[in-house]
Amino acid sequence: MKSKKLIIRTLELLFIALWVFPLAWMLITSLKLEEEVITKTFTFWPQNPSLANYIKAFTSTYIVNWMGNSFIVSLFAMLLTLAVDAPIAYAFAKIPFKGRNVLFWLVMGGMMVPFQVLIVPLYLQFNSYGLVNTLAAAYLPRIALPIGIFILKQFYEGIPSDLEEAAFIDGANRARIFFKIIVPLGQSAMATVIILSFINAWNDFLWPLIVINDTIKYTITVGIANFQGTHGTQYSLIMAGATVASIPQILFYIFFRKKIIAGIATSGMKG
Amino acid sequence: MIPGNKDTRDGIAFSLPFLVVYIAFMIYPLLSGLYVSFFKWDILSSASFIGLDNYKVLFTDEKFYSSLWHTLQFVLMTTPSLLLVGFLMALAITGKSPLKGLMENVFFFPYIFSMTVVSTLWAWIMQKDWGVLNQVLMMLDKSPVSWLTNENYAMWSVALTTLWWTAGFNMVLFGAGIKQIPKEIYESASIDGATYWQEVRHITIPLVSSTTVLCLILQIIASFNVFGQVYVMTGGGPHGTTRVLVQYIYETGFKYYKMGYSAAMSYILFLIIMLVSVLQYALLGRKENT
Repeated sequence: MKSKKLIIRTLELLFIALWVFPLAWMLITSLKLEEEVITKTFTFWPQNPSLANYIKAFTSTYIVNWMGNSFIVSLFAMLLTLAVDAPIAYAFAKIPFKGRNVLFWLVMGGMMVPFQVLIVPLYLQFNSYGLVNTLAAAYLPRIALPIGIFILKQFYEGIPSDLEEAAFIDGANRARIFFKIIVPLGQSAMATVIILSFINAWNDFLWPLIVINDTIKYTITVGIANFQGTHGTQYSLIMAGATVASIPQILFYIFFRKKIIAGIATSGMKG
Repeated sequence: MIPGNKDTRDGIAFSLPFLVVYIAFMIYPLLSGLYVSFFKWDILSSASFIGLDNYKVLFTDEKFYSSLWHTLQFVLMTTPSLLLVGFLMALAITGKSPLKGLMENVFFFPYIFSMTVVSTLWAWIMQKDWGVLNQVLMMLDKSPVSWLTNENYAMWSVALTTLWWTAGFNMVLFGAGIKQIPKEIYESASIDGATYWQEVRHITIPLVSSTTVLCLILQIIASFNVFGQVYVMTGGGPHGTTRVLVQYIYETGFKYYKMGYSAAMSYILFLIIMLVSVLQYALLGRKENT
Protein backbone atom coordinates (compact mmCIF):
# COMPACT_ATOMS: atom_id res chain seq x y z
CA MET A 1 0.00 0.00 0.00
CA LYS A 2 2.82 2.36 0.85
CA SER A 3 4.72 1.69 -2.36
CA LYS A 4 1.53 2.30 -4.33
CA LYS A 5 1.21 5.70 -2.72
CA LEU A 6 4.81 6.44 -3.56
CA ILE A 7 4.24 5.59 -7.20
CA ILE A 8 1.19 7.85 -7.36
CA ARG A 9 3.02 10.77 -5.72
CA THR A 10 5.92 10.29 -8.15
CA LEU A 11 3.55 10.28 -11.10
CA GLU A 12 1.88 13.42 -9.82
CA LEU A 13 5.21 15.17 -9.44
CA LEU A 14 6.21 14.06 -12.92
CA PHE A 15 3.07 15.58 -14.40
CA ILE A 16 3.53 18.77 -12.41
CA ALA A 17 7.07 19.00 -13.79
CA LEU A 18 5.85 18.34 -17.34
CA TRP A 19 3.26 21.07 -17.04
CA VAL A 20 5.56 23.61 -15.41
CA PHE A 21 8.63 23.01 -17.54
CA PRO A 22 7.55 24.67 -20.83
CA LEU A 23 6.71 27.93 -19.07
CA ALA A 24 9.94 27.80 -17.08
CA TRP A 25 11.76 27.18 -20.33
CA MET A 26 10.18 30.28 -21.86
CA LEU A 27 11.55 32.35 -18.99
CA ILE A 28 14.95 30.66 -18.99
CA THR A 29 15.38 31.09 -22.74
CA SER A 30 14.40 34.74 -22.54
CA LEU A 31 17.27 35.38 -20.13
CA LYS A 32 19.87 33.79 -22.40
CA LEU A 33 22.00 35.57 -24.96
CA GLU A 34 21.41 34.77 -28.60
CA GLU A 35 24.70 32.91 -28.98
CA GLU A 36 23.88 30.71 -26.01
CA VAL A 37 20.63 29.61 -27.60
CA ILE A 38 21.95 28.70 -31.02
CA THR A 39 24.98 26.65 -30.11
CA LYS A 40 26.29 23.12 -30.35
CA THR A 41 26.97 22.89 -26.62
CA PHE A 42 23.61 22.85 -24.92
CA THR A 43 23.33 24.56 -21.55
CA PHE A 44 20.27 24.47 -19.37
CA TRP A 45 20.72 27.58 -17.24
CA PRO A 46 21.72 30.91 -18.75
CA GLN A 47 25.49 31.32 -18.48
CA ASN A 48 25.24 35.11 -18.29
CA PRO A 49 21.64 35.85 -17.33
CA SER A 50 20.71 39.13 -18.93
CA LEU A 51 17.71 41.29 -19.64
CA ALA A 52 19.12 42.24 -23.04
CA ASN A 53 16.27 40.51 -24.87
CA TYR A 54 13.66 42.39 -22.87
CA ILE A 55 15.37 45.69 -23.54
CA LYS A 56 15.56 44.80 -27.21
CA ALA A 57 11.90 43.71 -27.24
CA PHE A 58 10.84 47.04 -25.79
CA THR A 59 13.12 49.27 -27.85
CA SER A 60 13.36 47.67 -31.28
CA THR A 61 9.97 45.99 -31.71
CA TYR A 62 6.40 47.25 -31.59
CA ILE A 63 5.58 45.19 -28.51
CA VAL A 64 4.55 48.24 -26.46
CA ASN A 65 2.15 49.34 -29.20
CA TRP A 66 0.77 45.81 -29.53
CA MET A 67 0.17 45.54 -25.80
CA GLY A 68 -1.53 48.93 -25.85
CA ASN A 69 -3.72 47.92 -28.78
CA SER A 70 -4.73 44.67 -27.11
CA PHE A 71 -5.49 46.60 -23.96
CA ILE A 72 -7.76 49.02 -25.79
CA VAL A 73 -9.49 46.24 -27.72
CA SER A 74 -10.04 44.12 -24.60
CA LEU A 75 -11.17 47.06 -22.50
CA PHE A 76 -13.77 48.20 -25.03
CA ALA A 77 -14.91 44.63 -25.67
CA MET A 78 -15.36 44.10 -21.95
CA LEU A 79 -17.19 47.37 -21.18
CA LEU A 80 -19.47 47.17 -24.20
CA THR A 81 -20.21 43.50 -23.57
CA LEU A 82 -21.36 44.34 -20.10
CA ALA A 83 -23.36 47.33 -21.30
CA VAL A 84 -25.41 45.27 -23.75
CA ASP A 85 -25.46 41.91 -21.93
CA ALA A 86 -26.60 43.07 -18.50
CA PRO A 87 -29.91 44.75 -19.52
CA ILE A 88 -31.07 41.86 -21.71
CA ALA A 89 -30.05 39.36 -19.04
CA TYR A 90 -32.22 41.30 -16.59
CA ALA A 91 -35.10 41.23 -19.09
CA PHE A 92 -34.71 37.46 -19.52
CA ALA A 93 -34.54 36.89 -15.78
CA LYS A 94 -37.18 39.25 -14.42
CA ILE A 95 -39.45 40.75 -17.10
CA PRO A 96 -42.14 38.35 -18.36
CA PHE A 97 -42.50 39.98 -21.77
CA LYS A 98 -44.05 38.39 -24.83
CA GLY A 99 -41.72 36.21 -26.89
CA ARG A 100 -39.15 36.04 -24.13
CA ASN A 101 -38.43 32.34 -24.45
CA VAL A 102 -38.17 32.39 -28.23
CA LEU A 103 -35.80 35.33 -28.04
CA PHE A 104 -33.72 33.64 -25.35
CA TRP A 105 -33.14 30.55 -27.45
CA LEU A 106 -32.45 32.65 -30.52
CA VAL A 107 -29.73 34.43 -28.58
CA MET A 108 -28.29 31.25 -27.07
CA GLY A 109 -28.28 29.72 -30.55
CA GLY A 110 -25.57 32.24 -31.39
CA MET A 111 -23.16 30.18 -29.34
CA MET A 112 -23.46 27.41 -31.92
CA VAL A 113 -22.16 29.59 -34.74
CA PRO A 114 -18.42 29.15 -35.22
CA PHE A 115 -16.74 32.51 -35.69
CA GLN A 116 -15.10 31.32 -38.92
CA VAL A 117 -18.46 31.43 -40.67
CA LEU A 118 -18.59 35.15 -40.04
CA ILE A 119 -15.12 36.20 -41.15
CA VAL A 120 -15.83 36.80 -44.83
CA PRO A 121 -19.14 38.66 -44.41
CA LEU A 122 -17.80 40.61 -41.42
CA TYR A 123 -14.75 41.66 -43.36
CA LEU A 124 -16.90 42.81 -46.28
CA GLN A 125 -19.14 44.65 -43.82
CA PHE A 126 -16.27 46.47 -42.10
CA ASN A 127 -14.66 47.12 -45.45
CA SER A 128 -17.79 48.91 -46.63
CA TYR A 129 -17.87 50.98 -43.42
CA GLY A 130 -14.23 51.93 -43.99
CA LEU A 131 -13.34 50.36 -40.64
CA VAL A 132 -10.78 47.84 -41.84
CA ASN A 133 -7.42 48.37 -40.18
CA THR A 134 -8.92 50.05 -37.10
CA LEU A 135 -9.02 48.82 -33.52
CA ALA A 136 -12.79 49.33 -33.45
CA ALA A 137 -13.11 46.62 -36.07
CA ALA A 138 -11.18 44.28 -33.78
CA TYR A 139 -13.56 44.58 -30.84
CA LEU A 140 -16.98 45.36 -32.33
CA PRO A 141 -17.79 41.77 -33.43
CA ARG A 142 -16.73 40.53 -29.99
CA ILE A 143 -19.34 42.47 -28.02
CA ALA A 144 -22.36 40.22 -28.42
CA LEU A 145 -21.39 37.51 -25.95
CA PRO A 146 -24.37 35.14 -25.43
CA ILE A 147 -22.54 33.23 -22.70
CA GLY A 148 -22.29 36.46 -20.72
CA ILE A 149 -26.07 36.81 -20.88
CA PHE A 150 -26.43 33.25 -19.66
CA ILE A 151 -24.18 33.83 -16.65
CA LEU A 152 -25.88 37.11 -15.71
CA LYS A 153 -29.38 35.70 -16.20
CA GLN A 154 -28.64 32.76 -13.90
CA PHE A 155 -27.48 35.19 -11.24
CA TYR A 156 -30.30 37.71 -11.61
CA GLU A 157 -32.88 34.94 -11.31
CA GLY A 158 -31.54 34.33 -7.82
CA ILE A 159 -32.24 37.90 -6.69
CA PRO A 160 -35.50 37.87 -4.67
CA SER A 161 -38.40 39.60 -6.43
CA ASP A 162 -39.53 41.16 -3.14
CA LEU A 163 -36.84 43.79 -3.53
CA GLU A 164 -38.16 44.79 -6.93
CA GLU A 165 -41.76 44.75 -5.80
CA ALA A 166 -41.00 46.97 -2.84
CA ALA A 167 -39.26 49.41 -5.16
CA PHE A 168 -42.21 49.37 -7.55
CA ILE A 169 -44.57 50.24 -4.73
CA ASP A 170 -42.28 53.14 -3.88
CA GLY A 171 -42.78 54.35 -7.44
CA ALA A 172 -39.51 53.31 -9.03
CA ASN A 173 -39.47 52.34 -12.70
CA ARG A 174 -37.56 49.46 -14.27
CA ALA A 175 -34.52 51.51 -15.24
CA ARG A 176 -34.17 52.75 -11.70
CA ILE A 177 -34.57 49.25 -10.28
CA PHE A 178 -31.99 47.94 -12.71
CA PHE A 179 -29.36 50.50 -11.76
CA LYS A 180 -30.13 50.75 -8.04
CA ILE A 181 -30.87 47.11 -7.19
CA ILE A 182 -29.89 44.66 -9.90
CA VAL A 183 -26.53 46.10 -10.93
CA PRO A 184 -25.16 46.49 -7.37
CA LEU A 185 -26.38 43.04 -6.32
CA GLY A 186 -25.09 41.38 -9.48
CA GLN A 187 -21.52 42.57 -9.15
CA SER A 188 -19.96 39.15 -8.72
CA ALA A 189 -21.63 37.77 -11.85
CA MET A 190 -20.60 40.89 -13.72
CA ALA A 191 -17.03 40.36 -12.61
CA THR A 192 -17.14 36.86 -14.11
CA VAL A 193 -18.45 38.24 -17.41
CA ILE A 194 -15.83 41.00 -17.41
CA ILE A 195 -13.03 38.53 -16.87
CA LEU A 196 -14.26 36.09 -19.50
CA SER A 197 -14.81 38.78 -22.11
CA PHE A 198 -11.46 40.39 -21.39
CA ILE A 199 -9.58 37.11 -21.75
CA ASN A 200 -11.63 36.24 -24.81
CA ALA A 201 -10.79 39.53 -26.52
CA TRP A 202 -7.15 39.49 -25.42
CA ASN A 203 -6.62 36.00 -26.86
CA ASP A 204 -8.50 36.63 -30.09
CA PHE A 205 -6.31 35.81 -33.07
CA LEU A 206 -8.02 35.02 -36.36
CA TRP A 207 -10.16 38.15 -36.53
CA PRO A 208 -7.47 40.76 -35.72
CA LEU A 209 -5.17 38.87 -38.11
CA ILE A 210 -7.70 39.49 -40.86
CA VAL A 211 -8.96 42.95 -40.09
CA ILE A 212 -5.73 44.74 -39.13
CA ASN A 213 -2.98 45.20 -41.69
CA ASP A 214 -0.47 47.68 -40.28
CA THR A 215 2.20 46.12 -38.10
CA ILE A 216 1.95 48.98 -35.62
CA LYS A 217 -1.79 48.39 -35.17
CA TYR A 218 -1.51 44.65 -34.47
CA THR A 219 -2.87 43.23 -31.27
CA ILE A 220 -0.33 41.35 -29.16
CA THR A 221 -1.44 37.87 -30.31
CA VAL A 222 -0.95 38.77 -33.96
CA GLY A 223 2.27 40.59 -33.13
CA ILE A 224 3.78 37.60 -31.36
CA ALA A 225 2.78 35.30 -34.21
CA ASN A 226 4.43 37.79 -36.54
CA PHE A 227 7.62 37.71 -34.43
CA GLN A 228 8.49 34.31 -35.82
CA GLY A 229 8.38 35.61 -39.34
CA THR A 230 10.43 38.74 -38.70
CA HIS A 231 12.86 37.55 -36.04
CA GLY A 232 13.30 34.02 -37.43
CA THR A 233 15.89 32.37 -35.24
CA GLN A 234 16.15 34.98 -32.49
CA TYR A 235 14.51 32.57 -30.12
CA SER A 236 15.54 34.27 -26.90
CA LEU A 237 14.06 37.55 -28.17
CA ILE A 238 10.85 35.77 -29.20
CA MET A 239 10.60 34.15 -25.75
CA ALA A 240 11.15 37.51 -24.06
CA GLY A 241 8.32 38.93 -26.17
CA ALA A 242 6.08 35.98 -25.33
CA THR A 243 6.81 36.45 -21.64
CA VAL A 244 5.97 40.14 -21.74
CA ALA A 245 2.82 39.38 -23.73
CA SER A 246 1.66 37.02 -20.97
CA ILE A 247 2.05 39.42 -18.04
CA PRO A 248 -1.57 40.66 -18.13
CA GLN A 249 -2.96 37.12 -18.11
CA ILE A 250 -0.66 36.09 -15.28
CA LEU A 251 -1.78 39.11 -13.23
CA PHE A 252 -5.39 38.34 -14.07
CA TYR A 253 -4.92 34.77 -12.93
CA ILE A 254 -3.26 35.76 -9.66
CA PHE A 255 -6.05 38.19 -8.76
CA PHE A 256 -9.10 36.43 -10.20
CA ARG A 257 -8.17 32.74 -10.11
CA LYS A 258 -11.35 31.67 -8.34
CA LYS A 259 -13.61 33.74 -10.62
CA ILE A 260 -11.97 32.44 -13.79
CA ILE A 261 -12.33 28.82 -12.72
CA ALA A 262 -15.88 29.32 -11.46
CA GLY A 263 -16.76 31.09 -14.70
CA ILE A 264 -15.55 28.17 -16.77
CA ALA A 265 -17.17 25.58 -14.52
CA THR A 266 -20.58 27.26 -14.78
CA SER A 267 -20.50 28.32 -18.40
CA GLY A 268 -18.23 25.87 -20.16
CA MET A 269 -16.84 28.67 -22.24
CA LYS A 270 -13.96 27.71 -24.44
CA GLY A 271 -11.61 30.28 -25.85
CA MET B 1 -46.09 39.81 -12.06
CA ILE B 2 -46.45 43.38 -10.97
CA PRO B 3 -49.76 44.98 -11.95
CA GLY B 4 -49.75 48.19 -13.91
CA ASN B 5 -46.35 47.66 -15.41
CA LYS B 6 -45.49 47.60 -19.06
CA ASP B 7 -43.67 44.32 -19.22
CA THR B 8 -43.57 44.06 -22.98
CA ARG B 9 -42.35 47.61 -23.48
CA ASP B 10 -39.68 47.19 -20.76
CA GLY B 11 -38.66 43.80 -22.05
CA ILE B 12 -38.03 45.16 -25.50
CA ALA B 13 -36.30 48.28 -24.20
CA PHE B 14 -33.88 46.26 -22.08
CA SER B 15 -33.21 43.78 -24.88
CA LEU B 16 -32.66 46.41 -27.54
CA PRO B 17 -28.98 47.33 -27.01
CA PHE B 18 -27.93 43.71 -27.25
CA LEU B 19 -30.23 42.95 -30.15
CA VAL B 20 -28.83 45.82 -32.20
CA VAL B 21 -25.29 44.50 -31.76
CA TYR B 22 -26.40 40.91 -32.21
CA ILE B 23 -28.22 41.64 -35.46
CA ALA B 24 -25.41 43.83 -36.77
CA PHE B 25 -22.52 41.47 -36.03
CA MET B 26 -24.12 38.04 -35.94
CA ILE B 27 -27.45 37.68 -37.73
CA TYR B 28 -26.69 40.02 -40.61
CA PRO B 29 -23.22 38.59 -41.41
CA LEU B 30 -24.56 35.08 -41.02
CA LEU B 31 -27.17 35.74 -43.70
CA SER B 32 -25.01 37.92 -45.93
CA GLY B 33 -22.28 35.25 -45.80
CA LEU B 34 -24.74 32.73 -47.20
CA TYR B 35 -25.68 35.26 -49.89
CA VAL B 36 -22.03 35.90 -50.77
CA SER B 37 -21.43 32.16 -51.10
CA PHE B 38 -23.53 32.22 -54.29
CA PHE B 39 -21.24 34.78 -55.90
CA LYS B 40 -17.85 34.88 -57.48
CA TRP B 41 -16.22 37.87 -55.87
CA ASP B 42 -12.64 39.07 -55.37
CA ILE B 43 -13.57 42.37 -53.57
CA LEU B 44 -11.86 44.52 -56.21
CA SER B 45 -14.20 43.83 -59.10
CA SER B 46 -17.96 43.51 -58.78
CA ALA B 47 -19.53 40.25 -57.72
CA SER B 48 -21.14 37.96 -60.24
CA PHE B 49 -23.89 35.54 -59.34
CA ILE B 50 -22.92 31.92 -60.02
CA GLY B 51 -25.61 30.05 -58.10
CA LEU B 52 -24.38 26.86 -56.52
CA ASP B 53 -21.11 26.74 -58.45
CA ASN B 54 -18.96 27.46 -55.39
CA TYR B 55 -20.50 24.46 -53.65
CA LYS B 56 -20.08 22.30 -56.75
CA VAL B 57 -16.41 23.25 -57.10
CA LEU B 58 -15.91 22.57 -53.43
CA PHE B 59 -16.84 18.92 -53.80
CA THR B 60 -14.22 18.40 -56.49
CA ASP B 61 -11.53 20.46 -54.74
CA GLU B 62 -8.78 18.15 -53.56
CA LYS B 63 -7.39 20.83 -51.24
CA PHE B 64 -10.78 21.09 -49.57
CA TYR B 65 -10.90 17.36 -48.94
CA SER B 66 -7.33 17.18 -47.70
CA SER B 67 -7.93 20.16 -45.37
CA LEU B 68 -11.08 18.53 -44.06
CA TRP B 69 -9.16 15.31 -43.51
CA HIS B 70 -6.38 17.10 -41.61
CA THR B 71 -8.99 18.78 -39.44
CA LEU B 72 -10.57 15.40 -38.77
CA GLN B 73 -7.15 13.98 -37.90
CA PHE B 74 -6.69 16.76 -35.38
CA VAL B 75 -10.15 16.11 -33.92
CA LEU B 76 -9.39 12.39 -33.58
CA MET B 77 -5.99 13.04 -32.02
CA THR B 78 -7.08 15.65 -29.51
CA THR B 79 -10.59 14.68 -28.42
CA PRO B 80 -9.93 11.33 -26.69
CA SER B 81 -6.61 12.43 -25.22
CA LEU B 82 -7.92 15.74 -23.90
CA LEU B 83 -10.95 14.09 -22.36
CA LEU B 84 -8.89 11.35 -20.74
CA VAL B 85 -6.15 13.61 -19.42
CA GLY B 86 -8.68 16.19 -18.23
CA PHE B 87 -10.59 13.48 -16.39
CA LEU B 88 -7.47 12.02 -14.77
CA MET B 89 -6.41 15.50 -13.70
CA ALA B 90 -9.85 16.06 -12.19
CA LEU B 91 -9.53 12.78 -10.27
CA ALA B 92 -6.16 13.93 -8.99
CA ILE B 93 -7.38 17.33 -7.81
CA THR B 94 -10.52 15.99 -6.15
CA GLY B 95 -8.71 13.12 -4.43
CA LYS B 96 -6.76 12.98 -1.20
CA SER B 97 -3.33 13.92 -2.54
CA PRO B 98 -1.44 16.53 -0.52
CA LEU B 99 -0.41 17.98 -3.90
CA LYS B 100 -3.95 18.58 -5.13
CA GLY B 101 -3.99 22.35 -4.62
CA LEU B 102 -0.70 22.70 -6.46
CA MET B 103 -1.87 20.39 -9.23
CA GLU B 104 -5.08 22.32 -9.79
CA ASN B 105 -3.10 25.51 -10.33
CA VAL B 106 -0.33 23.99 -12.39
CA PHE B 107 -2.59 22.03 -14.73
CA PHE B 108 -4.94 24.93 -15.35
CA PHE B 109 -2.27 27.60 -15.69
CA PRO B 110 -1.31 27.05 -19.38
CA TYR B 111 -4.93 27.63 -20.42
CA ILE B 112 -4.76 31.34 -19.54
CA PHE B 113 -1.89 31.94 -21.97
CA SER B 114 -2.81 33.07 -25.45
CA MET B 115 -2.68 30.61 -28.31
CA THR B 116 0.15 32.48 -30.03
CA VAL B 117 2.33 32.50 -26.93
CA VAL B 118 1.75 28.78 -26.41
CA SER B 119 2.40 28.01 -30.06
CA THR B 120 5.60 30.04 -30.37
CA LEU B 121 6.83 28.54 -27.09
CA TRP B 122 6.24 24.96 -28.25
CA ALA B 123 7.60 25.70 -31.72
CA TRP B 124 10.80 26.68 -29.92
CA ILE B 125 10.76 23.64 -27.62
CA MET B 126 10.24 21.40 -30.66
CA GLN B 127 12.74 23.26 -32.83
CA LYS B 128 14.79 20.74 -34.81
CA ASP B 129 18.36 21.91 -34.18
CA TRP B 130 18.39 23.75 -30.87
CA GLY B 131 15.04 22.91 -29.28
CA VAL B 132 15.20 21.41 -25.81
CA LEU B 133 13.18 18.33 -26.75
CA ASN B 134 15.76 17.19 -29.27
CA GLN B 135 18.60 18.18 -26.95
CA VAL B 136 17.18 15.78 -24.37
CA LEU B 137 16.80 13.07 -27.01
CA MET B 138 20.41 13.50 -28.05
CA MET B 139 21.56 13.29 -24.44
CA LEU B 140 19.77 9.94 -24.32
CA ASP B 141 21.68 8.93 -27.46
CA LYS B 142 18.59 9.04 -29.64
CA SER B 143 18.54 10.77 -32.98
CA PRO B 144 16.76 14.14 -33.11
CA VAL B 145 13.25 14.31 -34.54
CA SER B 146 11.89 16.88 -36.98
CA TRP B 147 8.82 17.49 -34.84
CA LEU B 148 7.27 20.19 -36.98
CA THR B 149 8.74 19.54 -40.40
CA ASN B 150 8.19 15.80 -40.74
CA GLU B 151 4.83 14.81 -42.22
CA ASN B 152 4.42 11.95 -39.78
CA TYR B 153 4.96 14.02 -36.65
CA ALA B 154 3.81 17.57 -37.42
CA MET B 155 0.12 17.15 -36.61
CA TRP B 156 0.91 15.07 -33.52
CA SER B 157 3.21 17.83 -32.33
CA VAL B 158 0.45 20.41 -32.70
CA ALA B 159 -1.97 18.05 -30.94
CA LEU B 160 0.50 17.55 -28.08
CA THR B 161 0.85 21.31 -27.68
CA THR B 162 -2.93 21.63 -27.59
CA LEU B 163 -3.13 18.88 -24.98
CA TRP B 164 -0.71 20.72 -22.72
CA TRP B 165 -2.51 24.01 -23.32
CA THR B 166 -6.17 23.06 -22.78
CA ALA B 167 -6.31 19.88 -20.68
CA GLY B 168 -6.78 22.10 -17.63
CA PHE B 169 -10.03 23.41 -19.08
CA ASN B 170 -11.55 19.94 -19.18
CA MET B 171 -10.11 19.32 -15.72
CA VAL B 172 -12.14 22.25 -14.37
CA LEU B 173 -15.36 20.95 -15.94
CA PHE B 174 -14.80 17.36 -14.78
CA GLY B 175 -13.71 18.61 -11.37
CA ALA B 176 -16.96 20.53 -10.97
CA GLY B 177 -18.88 17.40 -12.00
CA ILE B 178 -17.05 15.15 -9.56
CA LYS B 179 -17.51 17.57 -6.66
CA GLN B 180 -21.28 17.30 -7.11
CA ILE B 181 -21.30 13.56 -6.43
CA PRO B 182 -22.52 13.01 -2.83
CA LYS B 183 -19.75 11.83 -0.49
CA GLU B 184 -22.05 9.20 1.05
CA ILE B 185 -21.97 7.12 -2.12
CA TYR B 186 -18.20 6.73 -1.85
CA GLU B 187 -18.39 6.12 1.89
CA SER B 188 -20.84 3.27 1.57
CA ALA B 189 -18.85 1.83 -1.32
CA SER B 190 -15.66 1.77 0.70
CA ILE B 191 -17.49 0.17 3.63
CA ASP B 192 -18.46 -2.56 1.18
CA GLY B 193 -14.76 -2.94 0.39
CA ALA B 194 -14.60 -1.30 -3.03
CA THR B 195 -11.14 -0.42 -4.28
CA TYR B 196 -10.30 3.05 -5.62
CA TRP B 197 -10.54 2.01 -9.27
CA GLN B 198 -13.82 0.19 -8.66
CA GLU B 199 -15.19 3.41 -7.22
CA VAL B 200 -13.95 5.39 -10.21
CA ARG B 201 -15.38 2.88 -12.66
CA HIS B 202 -18.74 2.26 -11.01
CA ILE B 203 -19.44 5.57 -9.30
CA THR B 204 -17.43 8.47 -10.69
CA ILE B 205 -17.56 7.70 -14.41
CA PRO B 206 -21.32 6.97 -14.57
CA LEU B 207 -22.19 9.97 -12.39
CA VAL B 208 -20.17 12.51 -14.39
CA SER B 209 -21.55 11.29 -17.70
CA SER B 210 -23.42 14.56 -18.34
CA THR B 211 -20.15 16.44 -17.86
CA THR B 212 -18.46 13.99 -20.21
CA VAL B 213 -21.06 14.72 -22.88
CA LEU B 214 -20.57 18.46 -22.39
CA CYS B 215 -16.77 18.15 -22.57
CA LEU B 216 -17.00 15.92 -25.62
CA ILE B 217 -19.22 18.32 -27.52
CA LEU B 218 -17.20 21.39 -26.57
CA GLN B 219 -13.98 19.59 -27.42
CA ILE B 220 -15.11 18.39 -30.82
CA ILE B 221 -16.38 21.85 -31.73
CA ALA B 222 -13.14 23.47 -30.56
CA SER B 223 -11.01 20.93 -32.41
CA PHE B 224 -12.99 21.30 -35.62
CA ASN B 225 -12.32 25.02 -35.44
CA VAL B 226 -8.57 24.60 -34.98
CA PHE B 227 -6.49 27.18 -36.79
CA GLY B 228 -4.09 29.29 -34.73
CA GLN B 229 -1.83 26.54 -33.38
CA VAL B 230 -1.36 25.05 -36.82
CA TYR B 231 -0.89 28.44 -38.46
CA VAL B 232 1.80 29.53 -36.01
CA MET B 233 3.59 26.20 -35.48
CA THR B 234 3.70 24.67 -38.95
CA GLY B 235 2.03 27.19 -41.23
CA GLY B 236 0.12 24.22 -42.64
CA GLY B 237 3.31 22.48 -43.72
CA PRO B 238 5.22 20.37 -44.46
CA HIS B 239 3.79 20.33 -48.00
CA GLY B 240 0.32 21.26 -46.78
CA THR B 241 0.02 18.09 -44.69
CA THR B 242 -1.25 20.01 -41.66
CA ARG B 243 -3.35 22.58 -43.51
CA VAL B 244 -6.68 22.55 -41.69
CA LEU B 245 -10.06 23.66 -42.97
CA VAL B 246 -10.16 27.01 -41.20
CA GLN B 247 -6.73 27.80 -42.57
CA TYR B 248 -7.90 26.95 -46.08
CA ILE B 249 -10.97 29.15 -45.56
CA TYR B 250 -8.73 31.96 -44.34
CA GLU B 251 -6.25 31.65 -47.20
CA THR B 252 -8.95 31.35 -49.84
CA GLY B 253 -10.63 34.48 -48.56
CA PHE B 254 -7.76 36.68 -47.50
CA LYS B 255 -4.77 35.52 -49.51
CA TYR B 256 -6.47 34.71 -52.81
CA TYR B 257 -9.52 36.95 -52.26
CA LYS B 258 -12.05 34.35 -53.37
CA MET B 259 -14.71 35.66 -51.02
CA GLY B 260 -17.61 33.63 -52.33
CA TYR B 261 -15.72 30.36 -52.31
CA SER B 262 -14.35 31.02 -48.85
CA ALA B 263 -17.85 31.76 -47.55
CA ALA B 264 -19.20 28.59 -49.14
CA MET B 265 -16.55 26.49 -47.40
CA SER B 266 -17.23 28.13 -44.07
CA TYR B 267 -20.89 27.17 -44.39
CA ILE B 268 -19.95 23.56 -45.04
CA LEU B 269 -17.79 23.65 -41.90
CA PHE B 270 -20.72 25.11 -39.99
CA LEU B 271 -22.98 22.37 -41.31
CA ILE B 272 -20.50 19.66 -40.31
CA ILE B 273 -20.19 21.05 -36.80
CA MET B 274 -23.98 21.28 -36.47
CA LEU B 275 -24.44 17.72 -37.71
CA VAL B 276 -21.80 16.35 -35.36
CA SER B 277 -23.31 18.23 -32.40
CA VAL B 278 -26.87 17.12 -33.15
CA LEU B 279 -25.73 13.55 -33.70
CA GLN B 280 -23.94 13.55 -30.37
CA TYR B 281 -26.91 14.97 -28.52
CA ALA B 282 -29.15 12.33 -30.10
CA LEU B 283 -26.85 9.37 -29.54
CA LEU B 284 -25.48 10.25 -26.12
CA GLY B 285 -28.76 11.66 -24.89
CA ARG B 286 -30.55 8.42 -25.69
CA LYS B 287 -27.85 6.36 -24.01
CA GLU B 288 -28.27 8.38 -20.86
CA ASN B 289 -32.02 7.84 -20.71
CA THR B 290 -31.83 4.04 -20.85
